[in-house]
Amino acid sequence: MKKKILVIEDNPMVVKSLEFKLLKEGYDVSIAIDGRSAMEQLEANNFDLILTDLMLPFVSGSQLIEHIKKNHPNIPIIVLSTATQEDIITDAFNMGVDDFITKPFSPNELALRVKRSIGSFKNQFSHK
Amino acid sequence: MVSPFFLKMNLASDIHELPPILEINLVLTIIFFVFTLLLISLILYLRVHKNIANRRREELDLLLIDFINNYLFNEEFDNSKEIKAFKKKHLKTNFDKRVAVSQILVFAENLKGETSSVIQEVFLGLGLYDFLISDLKKKAWFKKAKALFVFYQLNIKIPMSLVEPAINSNRNELRQQAFLYLLHNSTENPLGFLGKLITPLTLWEQIYIENALKGYPGETPDFSRWIYHEFSSVAIFCMKMMADYNQFEHIPILLKFLNHEKPEIRQQAILSLRQMEISEILQILIENFPKENTLLKQEILKTIGKMGLEKHLQAIAPYINKENGILTVEHQRLARYFNPKTSITENNIFTNNVQRGHS
Repeated sequence: MKKKILVIEDNPMVVKSLEFKLLKEGYDVSIAIDGRSAMEQLEANNFDLILTDLMLPFVSGSQLIEHIKKNHPNIPIIVLSTATQEDIITDAFNMGVDDFITKPFSPNELALRVKRSIGSFKNQFSHK
Repeated sequence: MVSPFFLKMNLASDIHELPPILEINLVLTIIFFVFTLLLISLILYLRVHKNIANRRREELDLLLIDFINNYLFNEEFDNSKEIKAFKKKHLKTNFDKRVAVSQILVFAENLKGETSSVIQEVFLGLGLYDFLISDLKKKAWFKKAKALFVFYQLNIKIPMSLVEPAINSNRNELRQQAFLYLLHNSTENPLGFLGKLITPLTLWEQIYIENALKGYPGETPDFSRWIYHEFSSVAIFCMKMMADYNQFEHIPILLKFLNHEKPEIRQQAILSLRQMEISEILQILIENFPKENTLLKQEILKTIGKMGLEKHLQAIAPYINKENGILTVEHQRLARYFNPKTSITENNIFTNNVQRGHS
């Protein structure tokens, strides 16, 4: 069964590229262009991974991560952001994100990190 | 039924029969009415034109995103055939080409690694290189600036004969883009353009260059190459960079510049040497203190505060004019900093003692 990824991003170009690349890699991809619709999708579906930007309309990335960690703690999160400041990256990891990718990003590297995050999470659960 | 011609004739003869003041009023009303109609028509035309252009942009953006993603990630996509077809079908006008350039820039800003060279390939394949080169040959400065920006962002080399004239352009925006292009595309001498300047560097240009240097992947340039430049702004920039990049090997030059004829150069020499924490400057600054202007005296006081001792403050005390409020306050502040127990009165006594000692 295909792994399901929720991509939360408001830049249409990045959305399309991520969708294209992840579909090619064999994942099932859902898109949310803001935090609010991401929350709705999270309630309606089960996801194996969340790929999110930090700067989003309506609900910020940090608020969204807090929401996910509280209500769906088992879903791994990868942040994809233009932020390069150490404090922002540290804050994200402190909130419990699994990986942080800065823009500009390499699509191949991103695909590998997605694979690793989903794989490590699966292993973590199979060990338990 | 009355024909419009006769109606017009009647209206014209009626207007002539009116008293002159009413006639003028009526004529002016008609003129303003026509003018208003024309203005509203123009606004409506521009609005409609803009809406059509925006719609076309949105459509083309979607087509380009789809096309470029296929080009980048779809292995079954026949790149060479599809790029020709896309160019022929969708990039017919200059507007279409400008939209394509903007969208390619968005891709370049967000993707890196193996995709960068493919994005360049798409740019060249869509014929946008020639399009922007023709922009560079036009007179409009904003087209040239945009073209240089795109070439710089996509890391595409262009003939130097097209970039060099922009170095000394009257438009700051164009000059800045030329600097960034040259800096980014140079492998050995990123600041070589400084030697070709025939107008001073503005503060904004200095900030742009400084910022671009932070991302320069090559070896940091030796800033002493331009320290004797005819423009103080270039020399000041280089002195600042020497301190920022810790080029301690140039300390002798900076020390020499503490006695430069131009006060702005002396000021930057103090700032750079202070940043580098070179205590040798204290003796020179104390000697120079009496002849410096208030601004430089302030810098000397700050330097003593950062690197000096109470004895250095004592040495310059006799040369602080009591009527100069700024220097007096700064001097008092430093006196307390060195000796927190010093009261304002005591400090005055201490100053007087030093003065007596000197005399």
